[in-house]
Amino acid sequence: MVFITAEEILETVSMIRSENLDVRAITMGISLDDCADREARRTAERIHAKVVRRAGRLVDVAHELQEKYGIPIVNRRVSLTPIAEVVGSDDPADLVEVAHALDAAAEEVGIDFIGGFSALVQKGFTRSDAALIEAIPEAIGGTRRVCSSVNVASTRAGINMDAVVRMADVVLALAKRTATHDSIGCAKLVVFCNVPEDNPFMAGALHGSGEPEVSINVAISGPGVVRTMVANHPDASLIELADLIKRTTFKITRVGELVAREASQMLDAQMGIIDLSLAPTPAVGDSIAEILQAMGLEQPGAPGTTAALAMLNDAVKKGGTMATSSTGGLSGAFIPVSEDAAMARAAASGALTIEKLEAMTAVCSLGLDMIVVPGDISRNALAGMIADVMAIGMINSKTTGARLIPAYGKQVGEWVKLGGLFGEAPVMPVSAAGNDAFVGRGGRIPAPLQSLTN
Amino acid sequence: MRTTVIVTALGPDSHGLLAQVATTIAEQDANIDDVSQTVANGMFTMIMFVSFDQSETTMAQLKEALEATGERIGLQIHVQHENIFRFMHRV
Repeated sequence: MVFITAEEILETVSMIRSENLDVRAITMGISLDDCADREARRTAERIHAKVVRRAGRLVDVAHELQEKYGIPIVNRRVSLTPIAEVVGSDDPADLVEVAHALDAAAEEVGIDFIGGFSALVQKGFTRSDAALIEAIPEAIGGTRRVCSSVNVASTRAGINMDAVVRMADVVLALAKRTATHDSIGCAKLVVFCNVPEDNPFMAGALHGSGEPEVSINVAISGPGVVRTMVANHPDASLIELADLIKRTTFKITRVGELVAREASQMLDAQMGIIDLSLAPTPAVGDSIAEILQAMGLEQPGAPGTTAALAMLNDAVKKGGTMATSSTGGLSGAFIPVSEDAAMARAAASGALTIEKLEAMTAVCSLGLDMIVVPGDISRNALAGMIADVMAIGMINSKTTGARLIPAYGKQVGEWVKLGGLFGEAPVMPVSAAGNDAFVGRGGRIPAPLQSLTN
Repeated sequence: MRTTVIVTALGPDSHGLLAQVATTIAEQDANIDDVSQTVANGMFTMIMFVSFDQSETTMAQLKEALEATGERIGLQIHVQHENIFRFMHRV
């Protein structure tokens, strides 16, 4: 028997019971390479059958592990080969049909989200990419469980501004399509730069072309554990604090490693990655903003926020990489405004602005995430916001994403309730200065110097 | 195959708590390999290493029985496989 001290045992129990430590998601990545058919209907049937066959036991296995280790496993999800690569059709109606097949498969296996209604268009569009993008408002607005992502930029390729503009139109159309539910459809759509192939988090999860047939990717979490630890050391210097955060995230990540190893074995899948992300939920105490407050900031958005977040994000990664050799996905602290109650409050009070959030994006994951903007925002203003986030990812060789919610019919200051883990947030103001001539130029922002690494 | 779980029990102190938890474990044909227990400021804290063969009981049965006992005697009782502690605190 390995000697474990009473203190260590009680620490683990307290992390789980009082500080919201959980495994945020077990995501099964499934390759759809063998599902393509000339007819979209047949492709949809094959995808449905494969998802049900391979992910049929996912929910049961997650439940078994949850019972065995006494740790909540909050979400069970499936990510797929980008659908635009599987469905060779230029008719958006075909893509909508496939989306409904995905939705049905997700319901059948009992998962809340299925990701991969995606296209990678950083350099240009294939005919099926264009059809998929055109289909997004209907496909995502008309289904419950399907998530979509479109990669419009990369450090290697630059930013496809035509795709950025097209995605701004899509976001606005999806907001309108789901207007009666506070434009919630936009919470299921991410625009990416440098999209990872193994991300377990929704809405951006997809199963990239370099991935195995079936993989298990695990997203750990635990902002509450880190917050408690930081709050319990009010006099620690920043270097001591960084060390304490590393130790804590090491422990959190080890739980993810254990669950990933066992789940992949039980599901006959290859173990993929552990995503070292601190992901908040709207629950009190499960918040990145509250960690920043425990570090000594009155509210997120206060001068020093970017520095504090940079330190937190770096310490999380350092602790996590010591705990597993299978890091991947997004791996960083998330700052989704609506999903973090304290972050949303800071936005409502004016302490936290979109400009500050953009700066924070440069030092953490993921980007302008779950930010509610006025429903009457112009297409070009939205495109400009997306392009700004993409530029940060492109230049810094990191993943960035934009998940913006133009709340249809709502104005600055009004609150939008998205429900569940999506939380709620106030509509935030966006600069009114025009950018029509810049966005109207179209074309591509060339790959930066950073792309020439050979 | 022998399984080892760690049982933690937390709650306000009263007479006979250890005995009642131990009795439940015995009724499930499981064995207590190690136990430590303290009372501080009226709070009862107990940690038990419990092992059993799958032929004797299952983790689900043990858990159900202990949670029922916990509810009856006012303790929060958790049953977790030992590996989560090994993984979290040791490399």
